[in-house]
Amino acid sequence: MNNNRVIATALAMCVLLISVPLFAHHSGSAFDQEHSVTLKGTVASFEWSNPHVFIGLDVKDDKGEVEQWRIEANSPNMLTRVGWKKDMIKEGDQLAVTGFLAKTGRKIMRLHSLTLANGQQFDGEGFK
Amino acid sequence: MQNYFMGLVLAAAALSFSPNTFSQTAQHAAAAKAHSVSAQPDFSGVWFMPEYHRTLLPKEDPPFQPWAEALLKKRDVENNTSDPDTGPDPIERCIPPGVPRIMLQPFPWEIVHAKDRVLMIFEYQALTRQIFMDGRGHPKDLEPTYMGHSIGKYEGDTLVIDTIGFNDKTWLDPMGLPHSDALHVVERIRRVDHDTLQVDYTIDDPKAYTKPWTAQRIFNLKPDWEIKEYVCAENNEVK
Repeated sequence: MNNNRVIATALAMCVLLISVPLFAHHSGSAFDQEHSVTLKGTVASFEWSNPHVFIGLDVKDDKGEVEQWRIEANSPNMLTRVGWKKDMIKEGDQLAVTGFLAKTGRKIMRLHSLTLANGQQFDGEGFK
Repeated sequence: MQNYFMGLVLAAAALSFSPNTFSQTAQHAAAAKAHSVSAQPDFSGVWFMPEYHRTLLPKEDPPFQPWAEALLKKRDVENNTSDPDTGPDPIERCIPPGVPRIMLQPFPWEIVHAKDRVLMIFEYQALTRQIFMDGRGHPKDLEPTYMGHSIGKYEGDTLVIDTIGFNDKTWLDPMGLPHSDALHVVERIRRVDHDTLQVDYTIDDPKAYTKPWTAQRIFNLKPDWEIKEYVCAENNEVK
């Protein structure tokens, strides 16, 4: 029990200590960056725009109801440095997105990483 | 004939001295070149922070005036309770970040050495700073601006930039460190090694802080990067 607690605490501290770069535009404080969340859904829209690339994602909740999420990635200038392309995401694509949720509870995620249907992974912040 | 003889003597004298003279000249030229290199370091290139921090990372606790400390606490609460689209941070409304915060944004920036000026081209908001290197002082009666008025000089391997003339509409860092229109920023920029730039900041703002304080940031050379387009206002969701 004690060992498990130690391990759990150590893991929790590792998560907290991971340095996660933040976006420049929307204040990082508005998102809960101590807990990352992964959502899977269907792309409803994709905007290759400044200062953020926006993905509209339809995500089914526990009851099978569709929730409409706004996924914010960094800006095109930074994302192209880590391999993003304007045409790599299309409406109807299946995506898995991992990031941080708005503290206010609105369905907005700041993207940390992205996995396409073909398994390709992309950094959502463009810092690497 | 006598003139011819005198000519030979003078020519011989000139030849006998010339190697020494040439040597001295070469030495002076080399010394001058070395002096020139050390007096005017070249920081040309694209620079980017190795990791992002939300604070300016002061070396010591900033010595706040009471109103400045209270304002920072207020901004901290607002930062942590606001909606992503209505945050209090001025840059969310595409306001220029000011100095030194422009260098704290997680986007690259480039140093260009121009005649009598050093230019800093920032990818973030496509802003440019010009630092006048021709020995001029700050103009009297400066009207306040977001990015201030910068003059610079070299001290050995270090570029020293002095900036005043700010308005009070910006934050010193993403956490919301306040400043007033009395802000005076001194930046000391030097290469730690070829690929590493160290910038030491002195923040002197007697209206907001009881004494000057310092902070330091490191930047890495990105030889394969070039400054790209960034347009803050295109699809700004902040209301």
